[in-house]
Amino acid sequence: MDTLHWLDVTGDRAAPLTEEATLVQELQAGSEQAFAYLLGVYQNPVFNLLCHMVENSADAADVLQEVFLKICRGIRHFHGESSLKTWIYKIALHEASNHRRGWLRRLRREPFSLDDGQGEPVMHSAQSAEETPYEALEQAERRELVSRALASLAPSYRAALILREMEEMSYEEIARVLDIPEGTVKSRLMRGREMLRSKLTGLLSEK
Amino acid sequence: MDMDALFETCGEIRKHFDDYLDGESSRERFRDVQYHLGHCAACGAELDRRGMMKSDLRSLPRRQAPPWVALRSRVLVSQELHRNLLGRLLVRLQNGLKPRLLPAMAGVCSAIICLGLFMTSGVVPITNIPDVPVSLTTPPRVRVLAPIDLNAGDQAVVVVTRIDADGRVISYQLLSGQPSPELMHRLDRMMYFSLFQPATLFGRPTNGQMVLSFRQITVRG
Repeated sequence: MDTLHWLDVTGDRAAPLTEEATLVQELQAGSEQAFAYLLGVYQNPVFNLLCHMVENSADAADVLQEVFLKICRGIRHFHGESSLKTWIYKIALHEASNHRRGWLRRLRREPFSLDDGQGEPVMHSAQSAEETPYEALEQAERRELVSRALASLAPSYRAALILREMEEMSYEEIARVLDIPEGTVKSRLMRGREMLRSKLTGLLSEK
Repeated sequence: MDMDALFETCGEIRKHFDDYLDGESSRERFRDVQYHLGHCAACGAELDRRGMMKSDLRSLPRRQAPPWVALRSRVLVSQELHRNLLGRLLVRLQNGLKPRLLPAMAGVCSAIICLGLFMTSGVVPITNIPDVPVSLTTPPRVRVLAPIDLNAGDQAVVVVTRIDADGRVISYQLLSGQPSPELMHRLDRMMYFSLFQPATLFGRPTNGQMVLSFRQITVRG
């Protein structure tokens, strides 16, 4: 670990390529410190992705642990064909998909409460000195609507949109994560945005 | 340009709005879109709507993993990394020893220091070395002993002498020997003219006691 100059672990950015190669070597050697670093860098962005991808966001923490366990088990088979970041996101989406399937199976069997899915109460407060409480409330409501519209999209479109808009990945990176051609990424993004727009229009008209 | 041609052109251009907003359109396409936007207010408004939705998506709050997740994940990963028996034993040993290491080291160091102090306190310093003795306590010592005449018939005389912090004799007591007035007189004179080095405690002079033994030695010849 002496040769590796670790980056800021609180940041959400991935390590540059040369450092990534060293990090992968350390991970493959079974270094706990390297895994701690990996957790520090990726746990928040992956958790955010999982919160949007699993139906019940309370399960995102459990899925996140599964993801890092899979990374730990599978790092020896990582040969650097893609970047570490895209490999991790690929595992995360795969785990989210597995969890969703299990969740749907359980949902069919178990009774549900009418209180479920009501969401947590949102506290509205002005973000900046210039923003009035009314504007803050309006913004929060808009974000809530966007979030609901996004959650109602099919997982394939949702994943493409989150990777592009929230994780700011390029088309090529999204194609690697989703294991689809770049053309399909473009069409999914376009179709996803169209669906999101129409859902948002519907939600706004309901208000 | 008639109306149908204009709408068709808008429809064609709008297909490229996503690439344009994502910064993924080619230079020619970028120029075409910009040219069209310069002449079509409706497409400009549509682009603004799409841009707003994009910024809405980007401004969605990023969820942070709860602090306990990181700890639990580290524990799980650590268990996974040390799945074999030897690795598990080593980790258990390390986890068991680490919390005890600091108190144990402190105990060993304290014991060594105490032992050192105890050992040095028993050593009587050599008188002809001018160093100040650093041991905890030192007994009083004789510097100059005045001569005393003992009669041939006298037994060995043993005296306990109390010496003050200035090295002067405070009192003395005869332990062994005949306490005749003549002997006591000679002992008084001897004590008066003798010089003593006082006892010390932590390097400071203090009162002390010493035992003096006198015996007459006769040399024939």
